[in-house]
Amino acid sequence: MKRIIYIILFVLILALLLKSCIRRDIPDADISKTNVLKTENTVNYPPPAQTVTLDGIDYLQAQTPIGKYGGELITSTIGEGPKTFNIFSSKDATSSEMSGLMYDALFSTNPQTGAVEPKLAKNYEIKNGTVYIVNLRHGLKWSDGAEITADDVIFTWNEIILKGLGNTSIKDAVTIDKKLPKVIKTGKYQVQFIITKPFAPFLRIIGAPIVPKHIFKDVVKKGAKEFDLFYSTNTPPEKFVVSGAFKLKEYVAAQRVVFERNPNYYMIDKKNQKLPYLNKLVYLIVGDLNNEILKFEAKETDIISLKGSNVARYKAKEANSDYKIYNIGSDTGTMFIVFNLNKRKNADNKFYVNPKKQMWFNDLNFRKAVDYAIDRKSMVQNIANGVAAPLFTAESLNSVYLNKDIKGHNRNMALATQLLYKSGFKYGRNQKLYDKYDNKVEFDLYTNAGNTEREALGVMIKQDLEDLGMYVNFKPIEFNSLVNKMTSTLDWDMIIMGLTGSPLEPHDGKNVWYSNGSLHLFNQRTSRDTKDDRLDFEKELDTIFDKGALETDFKKRKELYDRYQQIIYNQKPIIYLYSPTRIVAIRKKFKNIYPSPLSGVIYNIEEIYEDKN
Amino acid sequence: MQIIFYIFKRILQAIPLLVLVSLISFFIIRLSPVDPLAELKLNPSISQETLQAEKVRMGLDKPLAIQYLLWAKGFLKGDLGVTTTGEKVAVKLMERIPNTLLLTLIVIFMTWICGLPLGILAAINWKTTLDRFLTVLTSIGMAIPSFFFAILMLIFAVKTSWFPVGGLTSYNFNEMGFFHQIWDVTRHLILPVTVLFTISLAGLQRQMRANMLDVLDSDYVKFARAKGLSETQVIFKHALRNAVNPMITLLGFEFSGLLSGAALTEYVFQYPGLGRLILEAVMKSDINLVMASLMIGATMLVIGNLIADILLILTDPRIRAKA
Repeated sequence: MKRIIYIILFVLILALLLKSCIRRDIPDADISKTNVLKTENTVNYPPPAQTVTLDGIDYLQAQTPIGKYGGELITSTIGEGPKTFNIFSSKDATSSEMSGLMYDALFSTNPQTGAVEPKLAKNYEIKNGTVYIVNLRHGLKWSDGAEITADDVIFTWNEIILKGLGNTSIKDAVTIDKKLPKVIKTGKYQVQFIITKPFAPFLRIIGAPIVPKHIFKDVVKKGAKEFDLFYSTNTPPEKFVVSGAFKLKEYVAAQRVVFERNPNYYMIDKKNQKLPYLNKLVYLIVGDLNNEILKFEAKETDIISLKGSNVARYKAKEANSDYKIYNIGSDTGTMFIVFNLNKRKNADNKFYVNPKKQMWFNDLNFRKAVDYAIDRKSMVQNIANGVAAPLFTAESLNSVYLNKDIKGHNRNMALATQLLYKSGFKYGRNQKLYDKYDNKVEFDLYTNAGNTEREALGVMIKQDLEDLGMYVNFKPIEFNSLVNKMTSTLDWDMIIMGLTGSPLEPHDGKNVWYSNGSLHLFNQRTSRDTKDDRLDFEKELDTIFDKGALETDFKKRKELYDRYQQIIYNQKPIIYLYSPTRIVAIRKKFKNIYPSPLSGVIYNIEEIYEDKN
Repeated sequence: MQIIFYIFKRILQAIPLLVLVSLISFFIIRLSPVDPLAELKLNPSISQETLQAEKVRMGLDKPLAIQYLLWAKGFLKGDLGVTTTGEKVAVKLMERIPNTLLLTLIVIFMTWICGLPLGILAAINWKTTLDRFLTVLTSIGMAIPSFFFAILMLIFAVKTSWFPVGGLTSYNFNEMGFFHQIWDVTRHLILPVTVLFTISLAGLQRQMRANMLDVLDSDYVKFARAKGLSETQVIFKHALRNAVNPMITLLGFEFSGLLSGAALTEYVFQYPGLGRLILEAVMKSDINLVMASLMIGATMLVIGNLIADILLILTDPRIRAKA
């Protein structure tokens, strides 16, 4: 007995000792969640870089303040790291980001306006909307000293992209009415891209990266399989011949990727000194978000993108820290619920959706009622910890095509009930909702299990809709089963999902909005569905997307895409919920940081420098 | 001669076992509703043609049985196939195996060097303060779940900044001198080794203690003592030799855990070993990678048991007579 008391005492003392050793780092003051986003984004962007010709070489001159050479920036990437460094066979974001560092594209995007700006190309000219003349810079060199000429561009397009080697997404994007563009050389430094009819997204697409012909020419002859393995992660770093600001120095599986400066890079600063300033750029490969946070706190990394509750915690510590927090605006990701408007039958001649439910989902008043019953504000507060903004449009909030006239609305239960009454719904016992044929309003709401954010959303939506008297069975299921339901079996009622779009090009969403699109979520047609049963608003969407692709004038295009967002908002086949806000913390010692909602944080990595004082 | 025949027989027995393991694992993975193409299907900018091409490339368009036979044919030829992203499975595994071996070998070496003597010590000093102290320590070791302990250690590393937060080498490893490099790796290894060591030491020490106590209580030890042998002779010549047999079987299991035993701890510490690789492969249903790792695991288990049995034959005359 005595011994037990001794042991308990020992443990208690030990625990107290340990407790006293722990540094307090959580501030006493309770930071209200609404304050988190108060800091407005007041970035003064530098003017765009300009072409300067020195000794016959067309340099690109950055207009940012002059920096200091040296130093290194350490960032992190979540997951298992890059799968390949071959920019044309990469199929995941990490591989694309890292190989993109090494291969500059013909054009880049203005971080502020989203306009197309020349990068590896010197300038461009469009004739009749179908002939794109691109002039290259004179005297640029690959990292091995060979000159960058029109031959490299022609080779990249005709032998890799248009042949369909590696990742075919660019080829898919430039296939217009099943026809491919022609790419021809019209001079040592000039190429022409010719298409049969105007296509608005074309300019941005031809701004793709260019690879060196003298390195790639042998492997393209060996076929797709060999091409996919070329420039894999096991290639010795000295074999890489690049045009970008950085060149691979070291890849250690599951640990890190290290890039060093490319001495032949063609950008210079205002003093005509060669960029980039940094000696090294390091990506640490971390397995998950928590580890990434720990690495930043242990000062092993310099940049971190913050989510949820961490934002408030970091904000509170910011004043006494060595980092600065930037609010770079809305993410391109959207979160939404989608109704299944499908009225067709499957191969076994059974309805995909129960006919009584078809009636509810195809009833605009029902969809509107659901929209008005949803409390976006409390979703933003409780699920996203205030680090998000309510969303009402199909385009994300940072899109250059965002329809700003759609103001949205607050939760309005009275209006929601009124809309339901209008369509003959009525309340029965226990305030449960019944339709006009006395069917109890009960349906399934799916999302993918394991995504805590969507699961929390599901619980809130269920609650919101049950306030309306609907009976919602919330079922989180495995991601792959959910995708299978959405794309093949089509036997679902309502789903909470998220998609990432492009803030620059609404046409990228064509697979979602075209009535025969492969991801036309709310009314998915299969290859068997040949009968034209498009809803009126689907027909209008089809014409808008057809016209939008042809229209090259930004203003006129914007009008078209404004209309499409208005249609989605009015018809509500998809109800948008919110868009997360991106918050990033960077160590203060790094200068020339101009975060942008369109381009992110280190898009101008060649201009960033480390100021040790 | 007999031993060689025995080994041969055991290897033959292992073949149907491995076939069965591969069959079961292949079909369980393939029949589960995990689709390696799910992410692509939800990408708005992927066309139907691309999706179809990917399907053909991964061989998902063929019937299950054919897929299995294709895999088995490659496996027999020594070709482990490619991952869903097109990398060679063998290369991916070879990148990670040395790291995992480094970690597990250090841990196994340390636990056996410490565990056996501590077990003997506790048994000899049965019911003394030393024994009780060791019991408390090992109980703690057995009670803490490894992942939880690992997380505690990580927090410790962040708060004190005495140790790096996970990984195996620092980012500027290549610019360090040789001794500095060794120090760097050691610093990274201390925490994961501590976690794994504490946990496996506990089990081993308890096992050794129990065996030893068992033997010390037996008639032949009493007889040896009665014969007037010195205590050292009794313990090391008579008791220890008999108590160590079950430990050899355990050693066989340790061998099979060489590559897969530390997966959880590896994951928490972001250690660049097999654990992380395989976890990701399972999540993405990267069949070739998962199959390769499962087959390695099964083979290691078979070999481990074989080694243990052979060692037993060598150490124990009774088993030798039966075999």
